[in-house]
Amino acid sequence: MLVVDLSSGRTLREEIPPERLRAYLGGRGLGVRLLRERHTLSPFDPAMPVVFAVGPLCGTPAPTSARLSVVSRSPLTGTVYDCSAGGRFAWRLRAAGLLAILVEGRSPRPVVLAVTSAGEELLPAEGLWAKTVGETARALSDRGSVAAIGPAGENGVLFSNVMMGEGNAVGRGGLGAVLGKKNLKAVTVDGDRTVPIADRERFDRARADVLRLFRASPVIFGEFGISGYGTPALVDLMRRRRMAPTENFRHTVFDGAEAYSGPAIRAAYGAEKEGCFGCPIRCRKRASDGRSLPEYETVSHFGALNGISDLHAIVRSNDACNDLGMDTISAAATLSAWGEARGRFPSPEEIVTLLHDIAHRRGEGDLLAEGSRRVAEALGKPELSMSVKSLELPAYDPRGAYGMALAYATSNRGGCHLPAYSISHEILRKPVASDRFSFSGKARMIKIAEDANAAVDSLVACRFAFLGASLEEYAELLAGATGEHRDPKSLEEIGERIWLTERFYNARNGFTRADDDLPARFFTEAGTEGEGIDVPPIDRARFGEELTKYYRIRGLRDDGSFPDDGFLERQP
Amino acid sequence: MRSLIRKYAGKLHRDRSVADGRVGIAALDDVMISEGAPDLSRLAADVLSRLSCPGVVAASPSLPFAEFLLRRANAGAEAIVPLDTETRTFLHDIPIVRREELAGDPAGAIAALLSGRKGVIAEGVGIVASGPVTLEQAYIHYSSVFHACHVKYILDVLREGFLLPGEEEAFRAFRETFLRPLTAEGLSFRAGPLDAPEEVLSEIRAVGRHTVERGLVDSFFGNISYRAGDTIYISQTAASLDELSGCIDPVPTDNRSTAGITASSELPAHRRIYEATGARAILHGHPKFAVAMSMSCDVKDCPVEDCWKDCTRVRMLGDTPVVAGEIGAGGLAVRVPPVIGGPGKAIVYGHGVFTTGRDGFEEAFRSMADVENRCREEYFRRLDARA
Repeated sequence: MLVVDLSSGRTLREEIPPERLRAYLGGRGLGVRLLRERHTLSPFDPAMPVVFAVGPLCGTPAPTSARLSVVSRSPLTGTVYDCSAGGRFAWRLRAAGLLAILVEGRSPRPVVLAVTSAGEELLPAEGLWAKTVGETARALSDRGSVAAIGPAGENGVLFSNVMMGEGNAVGRGGLGAVLGKKNLKAVTVDGDRTVPIADRERFDRARADVLRLFRASPVIFGEFGISGYGTPALVDLMRRRRMAPTENFRHTVFDGAEAYSGPAIRAAYGAEKEGCFGCPIRCRKRASDGRSLPEYETVSHFGALNGISDLHAIVRSNDACNDLGMDTISAAATLSAWGEARGRFPSPEEIVTLLHDIAHRRGEGDLLAEGSRRVAEALGKPELSMSVKSLELPAYDPRGAYGMALAYATSNRGGCHLPAYSISHEILRKPVASDRFSFSGKARMIKIAEDANAAVDSLVACRFAFLGASLEEYAELLAGATGEHRDPKSLEEIGERIWLTERFYNARNGFTRADDDLPARFFTEAGTEGEGIDVPPIDRARFGEELTKYYRIRGLRDDGSFPDDGFLERQP
Repeated sequence: MRSLIRKYAGKLHRDRSVADGRVGIAALDDVMISEGAPDLSRLAADVLSRLSCPGVVAASPSLPFAEFLLRRANAGAEAIVPLDTETRTFLHDIPIVRREELAGDPAGAIAALLSGRKGVIAEGVGIVASGPVTLEQAYIHYSSVFHACHVKYILDVLREGFLLPGEEEAFRAFRETFLRPLTAEGLSFRAGPLDAPEEVLSEIRAVGRHTVERGLVDSFFGNISYRAGDTIYISQTAASLDELSGCIDPVPTDNRSTAGITASSELPAHRRIYEATGARAILHGHPKFAVAMSMSCDVKDCPVEDCWKDCTRVRMLGDTPVVAGEIGAGGLAVRVPPVIGGPGKAIVYGHGVFTTGRDGFEEAFRSMADVENRCREEYFRRLDARA
């Protein structure tokens, strides 16, 4: 692990104790563990670390495993925060002989951290300050892979991203602003080391099993799967399931969604396949002119959530966010909440200007840069922020999937679909279908998924791989790569440790059961019924009952608190 | 939760994969619930208490094939490896745990194996399977293991004969009393062509139920579709054929919508069969003798190592072509359409049977029953000849 103190400019390479890697794997788990001594610091405290960590499969041919987790505390939510991203950065970090970089302190002036197999240095970056992500990545392109912030991160936008030079985002929780406060404009990595595989035959067999399962999954390699259409393949499905958040979640069907569906994007932009290193799925799509095309959540939130059916305006919004280094979900959802509060959603012509105003904190952009919860409160309408723990909800209406409703509430990083990813069984029927309009059994299903995905984020593998394969095959890949026996149960136990550690950190920072809740709208207003599908408000009593059940399954008190204060001391 | 336990226990009895009354199911929500035969429900609960999943099924199979496979395996073997596509794709292998290993802590020994695989054969007990996400998965995994053991055992007997005391007698009982002829008699089908969406959906639901009730397929395995105009109506992925209400995707043939992302993984095969043959109805199932016989290949010194994927030959089982090809995007959709047009039926190596109907499902259904009956006849002809 490389430890970088930006205040002094000192760097140090140190060994990670093997027992720590066994207990936390890498990625998200390692990052969360490394925050233990400092998890109550303010996100903008110079001493708050930001951890970039890869997992034990990174650098091997394990499918979808060249990913990176970035972990710190979010300035948007105040929670512990992790996010993973693909691209080539993670692979090159491992090739530089590193599993993690821990950055702490605050540089007196803008810098770039440049890492290679031979060593690392801090380079002056005054000339890059105020540059866009694209400009920064191009300027540093001879130094390997780049992770950079844009103007949004420099200006402390609470939902600013760390962007990979290839276009992937470390999104949502505003870790770009944390790097901005540290005056760290970018990190570059390059290396030439290879990763040995302990048991090649076992590894290859497991890899073949994984690829076979990918091919058998209609969601991955099917005719309408994400390999062909990218995640916008979900636009038509969410429309048909009547759970596409529309006009700040006032409705759940948007008649203009066809304009930005997977087929529409392909017809308008070509949508060539582009993938993260070592990924056979290649779900990212690039236009014929080289631009990264938007993901499902982006098209839906800049589309339906703001009442916009102009595909080109949506793509321009995506371009702007990527270049400014801003999260598309939170940006679009904040604009939508603001739009409802003022009685008019932004027009396609206004949006890009507004996004630039946010990134540079100009005019109304200064308030909008704070995210929807603070915007709605400032406007005296706090109920219009469709967020959980201040994180704006993504494009799956919880009235259409009750496991998702519960998972939004229990997520340690705030309202996000990824920690439990219940859309897999509630909507995509993988590995089996569950009744999306029922809470029955969901508490345990969410708990199991949260634990499993915490392990996945620590391996670090892509969530989409698990729309075909399972931890069964990835445990075999891990055993083949490292020579140590692993099974799915042991990985889930690691995931549980990581999950509870995050929750414990959050509890120490003042989060309680009251924060594990959804916006009132979902309990009082119905979604858009029709085509034989009723989308009633969520039954609050039943939601509360299942939440209590969830706490009991997790070994927590009914108020969501820990039974004692000694949890951390018992963890490795 | 109790209603779900009873539902799956009922399905296991109805599809004749468990011995009468010999199933125990445990489900875990915030509390543990178990029902069924006392010894098996207790075992299921004990196993489940050591896992973190929502459900476990423990049952004595209706046929002793899993037990025979365990006892026929080498002394040091830790798993059996059936060669059907279901195992190859989803199960990988099936761990076995012998009587002496169950002596001290049977639930612990079984749970340790279920930590890494979906189902286990326990000597003297039967099959124990878990569901990592839902209770339904435990039922599905039990069915998968039962299916895989069935296919492997009848193939092993054909190749190696009977090796254990009692095998021959049990097999005779299987042949003479357990097996029933597969038939469409007594069923009614709508005459095609069908055009109205409600009519199509209703017929697909009914035919899906028929295929399960008549023993052509196990509930969870297989898919079904109908083409009406520019729409293919197809069962969704991970749908049980006897519970298709709300689980049929209308897929426009011009690809203007991707809502069919939840359609069966075999949608590409269905689409290309429609394009190549002009048929309107397709049934796909995994009848066991057809699956087994498709893997009974007598080509000598064949250079192909991966028969499921790489074999390019079209073999014939009677008048039914047999081709290779893996599930979904794995090649099946390329190899089946060119051979199914004439006979209206085709078998995929180690996997299952596709049949077509020119206007409605009756032709496809009768064809599926006919293929399996003929494969049974051929199997027993070869077995008798071996004897």
